[in-house]
Amino acid sequence: MPDTEDTFDLTPVAAPPTKRRGRWRTIGVLVVLALAVLALLSQGLLHSLNYFETIDQAMSSRAKLGTDTFRLEGVVRPHTIDRTSRGASFWMTGGDKKVFVDAHGSPPQLFQADIPVVVEGHFTSETSDTFIATQILVKHTASYIAAHPKRVKAPNGTVR
Amino acid sequence: MIKQLSQRLLGPVTLALLALTFWLGLWVTPPDRIQGNLVRLLYIHPAIAWVGLYVSFGTSVIASCLYLWKRTRSTIMDRVAYCAMEVSAIFITLTLITGSIWGRPTWGVWWAWDARLTSTAILLVFALGYLALRRANDDPELRARRSAVFAIIAAINVPIDHFSVDWWHTLHQGATVFTQNGNFLVHGSMLWTLFLSLFAFTLLFFWLLRARYRLEVLRDQRYAASLDEALAQRRREGVH
Repeated sequence: MPDTEDTFDLTPVAAPPTKRRGRWRTIGVLVVLALAVLALLSQGLLHSLNYFETIDQAMSSRAKLGTDTFRLEGVVRPHTIDRTSRGASFWMTGGDKKVFVDAHGSPPQLFQADIPVVVEGHFTSETSDTFIATQILVKHTASYIAAHPKRVKAPNGTVR
Repeated sequence: MIKQLSQRLLGPVTLALLALTFWLGLWVTPPDRIQGNLVRLLYIHPAIAWVGLYVSFGTSVIASCLYLWKRTRSTIMDRVAYCAMEVSAIFITLTLITGSIWGRPTWGVWWAWDARLTSTAILLVFALGYLALRRANDDPELRARRSAVFAIIAAINVPIDHFSVDWWHTLHQGATVFTQNGNFLVHGSMLWTLFLSLFAFTLLFFWLLRARYRLEVLRDQRYAASLDEALAQRRREGVH
């Protein structure tokens, strides 16, 4: 007869407390999850759900904003872009109001006239309409229109 | 017969439609007036987001609801919910990656903490949390019930993510296809290629779900067989 009784103990044993262990692991997962969500919210949305202020909004709360840093959105006014060694300066419009932007740093690839942009920075003073920007972000629209590269270009650059 | 045929054709048709999408997207459709050739990401990113945020997450939530409802409760629903959430986690990750690749040359940054991007990142955390929650429980019934409840709670974030571009100011663009007034903002062949990509990636989801579901069934069968084998071995050892 083989010595199975030495090798295998066949006496009944109590089942391990899987439910209790599972509960603690569940609580652990939920805690980690809550912390991860809070970390993401604190980065993104806890201070403001809006990523930027429009020019109208910024002008109406001009005194409150003062020279604080915030993000401002508007459309780049055509024929006002001046590329400088530090970056670019241009006029930005929103509604019937306009702001002069002096941006430091190189603008994004798609930066051009007549497109919406978001600039991060501050007004030079509480009454000034000059905005010193440290970053330009292009906010492209949701519309996609085909370019026609085969169309004839006039000498002045317009497409026929 | 029809079921078998459709199951057999699902893979080849999906691959053919994806190939057609890439051919149209890369070579046939024109560049965009402002974005130029960057617009070609339009045939990948929205379709991946559509599958990750709506189709697969939605399938998981519906299957979870059906599991919690006593009349439709079954292991099948639990498996579908689990497999769909796994696919969702992969596609949400791909959504964030392709979005960053698109964002860098257009916006000028890889990432922005706006409401759309942040809520999508939170949705990914929820999907990963769901998968972690399943691993935390050994009891199959308890695991199925808890994860189903969690999936339904996590689904609250889906409409927040979708409407975030309308409710708040975001750097991310507004809706292109599902606009509030029903107008499409994509023109000509670009629009049809976009629709084709949405359809092709939806088929890809069902193909992946089917493959993942079969894998899960095989895993359960293997587990049951190994359990039977272990019991039989134990009995044999006891007999000696």
